[in-house]
Amino acid sequence: MQLNSFQQQAFDHQRPVIEKFGRRTWMWTIFFLLWIILGGYALYLQIADGHIVTGMRDNVVWGLYIANFIFFIGISYAGAVISGILHILKVEWRKPIIRIAEMITVIATIIGPVFILLCVGRFDRLHHLILYPRLQSPITWDVLAISTYFTGSVIFLYLALIKDFAIYRDAKLKVPKWRQKVYKALAIGYRGTPSQKRHIKISMNLMAVIIIPLAIIVHSVLSWIFGMTLRPGWHSTIFGPYFVLAAIYSGTGVLIMAMWVYRRMYKLYDYIQDKHFIYLGYIMLVLGAGYGYFTFSEYLTDWFGSEKWDSEVIHKLFSFSEYGWWFLFANVAGILLPIFIVAFPKTRKPGWIALASLFMVAALWVKRYLIIVPTLESPLLPIQDTRLEYVKYSPTWVEWALTLAGIATFFLFFTLMSKFVTIIPISEFEDKEKATEKITKPGSEVIPA
Amino acid sequence: MKKIYQLLITSFLALLIISPGKIIAQTDTTKKEAATYSPLIEFVSVQKSDNSVDLKTSVKAKINGTLTKLTGLKIEFTIGSDSTAKKLGDAITDSKGVAVFYCKSDQLTTDKEGKLNFKASFAGKDSLESAEEMIAVKRGRLEIIPVKEDSLLTVKVKLVDLSTGTERPVDSTALGVYVKRLFSALKLGEGTTDATGETTVEIPKDLPGDAKGNLTLLARLDENETYGNLEASVVQQWGTPVSDELIELPRALWSSHPPIWMLVTFIILMSTVWGHYLVIIIQLFRLRKEEPKTAL
Repeated sequence: MQLNSFQQQAFDHQRPVIEKFGRRTWMWTIFFLLWIILGGYALYLQIADGHIVTGMRDNVVWGLYIANFIFFIGISYAGAVISGILHILKVEWRKPIIRIAEMITVIATIIGPVFILLCVGRFDRLHHLILYPRLQSPITWDVLAISTYFTGSVIFLYLALIKDFAIYRDAKLKVPKWRQKVYKALAIGYRGTPSQKRHIKISMNLMAVIIIPLAIIVHSVLSWIFGMTLRPGWHSTIFGPYFVLAAIYSGTGVLIMAMWVYRRMYKLYDYIQDKHFIYLGYIMLVLGAGYGYFTFSEYLTDWFGSEKWDSEVIHKLFSFSEYGWWFLFANVAGILLPIFIVAFPKTRKPGWIALASLFMVAALWVKRYLIIVPTLESPLLPIQDTRLEYVKYSPTWVEWALTLAGIATFFLFFTLMSKFVTIIPISEFEDKEKATEKITKPGSEVIPA
Repeated sequence: MKKIYQLLITSFLALLIISPGKIIAQTDTTKKEAATYSPLIEFVSVQKSDNSVDLKTSVKAKINGTLTKLTGLKIEFTIGSDSTAKKLGDAITDSKGVAVFYCKSDQLTTDKEGKLNFKASFAGKDSLESAEEMIAVKRGRLEIIPVKEDSLLTVKVKLVDLSTGTERPVDSTALGVYVKRLFSALKLGEGTTDATGETTVEIPKDLPGDAKGNLTLLARLDENETYGNLEASVVQQWGTPVSDELIELPRALWSSHPPIWMLVTFIILMSTVWGHYLVIIIQLFRLRKEEPKTAL
């Protein structure tokens, strides 16, 4: 594979990263593994003693696990929608960041459904979902939609990687032989002939087109698991678009955070430039405004209607002795903070935007928790003589340990993948020459849009 | 910028720690909230037609300006005045703060005035203060007798005083007649007792009953100054039979087959997406085949 000067420079910059694991990477890997081991112990307790070790009981049957599931599937939108849309629109500035976005998609789609498995009480009946599926059940739709989406995400990432695998294969990297063999196998004989380029282009265009509606369907189906029930706070016609928008929003936030970390860690200032943060910041601002509108509309309708059960949930969300502080945090950090930080030129900087993303992503996790728990704590039928712990949910350390293990697994997969492939896709720059490319050096002024 | 980061992250962690414990840990909110507060006990008795008495307490405490129901508290029930008090038993408050004790007729003793003196007391727990509440009611009984004359359905309700050891009719007292529904009782009418202690209330003919048409009819005397609460019930086949068997629904989650439109939509969607995948996989096979021989 022949590389142009721009590609050569980008590859030379990242070559040491994938050739050496490094002491710092080992330390992070061990740190994440320790969290995962703690999660493994918690899982052992959960399997040995049953779900009694969690805070879930007869009334509140969903808790942290389902909040994590929705959260991870939500952030998987980073690659699916952002990368897909930018690919279709042929937006040039997307190229250095799409690898990160697509990695987020695949890894988050692996981890998200694991939390469903943690929530299931009877592992031994899991195969019944496949053997005896009921097409009229939203749970079945969800299983089919997520497995289809995961397959699509893997194909999308792989298609974008084939040319890079060919580059790694031909570059004679100082890596173990088994890795060279893997690169060769994954490159599937790509040599950059016009015909091969055409096959990849057709495949990429097809995937970019199909991944967007697929991602929208997946998160809509996820919302319908809630929306199709008649429970207060869930039975809402806007839940589908509300979930989709929140998912793209949180996915954008995670993408910005990952870009900020990798830019600093691997000194990728020449590739992940200030303008990328600003453009994604603008996208985040628009999505934040839309998400804020949906949130206001949803709660205003429930509050104005004053239906008994809806009012009970609204009361819980607005009462500071119950979920009021968390509701306030979810809306201030999840809606207002990102909008203000991007809106003002003084704070429209990578660091500030990444910080706003961090708070926004945390706020959207809290929001998922607030969608699930207060509703389940408001049963529609009066239940007599139930214990308080059956009505009120608070997660146990087992649930927190497994949650942290899930997050650690996400970071570990990311760390390992960034040592296997380059974070900046080399092949994406095959049409560029260094002389024609404007590069913003670290610390220099931002190139205006 | 670094300092701002540190400040913001510290603030965020502080918020996590100081916020109400819903997300932080498994907490017993009752224990925490009830500390240093005095419980209030609401205490009522219901005398039944079989001469038994239900003793019901509702325990709350005023916390941060709002009345909060206290759960898991042991309430002791006694009968008799202080010198002759006899323990009846204990009951634990449920999630609504309610504890009920069912007192059998052979456990009942009256004082010289023919009154039943009940006491519900909470001994205190951890830092919760002790509390007690007493009621004194005369012994009485309600009787309910269904009467069908031609097509007219009525119930005759009789109120008698038992405080003197003999049955004595009580007159000029307003009573209510109800029918038991799923969660509460529906009032059908009321009447005032005459010199014989009796009153009659008409029952509608079109009330939905169970599968056999059975209705549970109740007569109640509520919050009476002398007798407290009295209740009597009778089951009568005067209702319209309503079957509890589910008729076949046009669609349901447990139907043997999904609706046709759903099946068609599903097949179209899945075949479109997986069709795309198939085309892409074929493209990749072609790509592999087209590797130049010279490169190998």
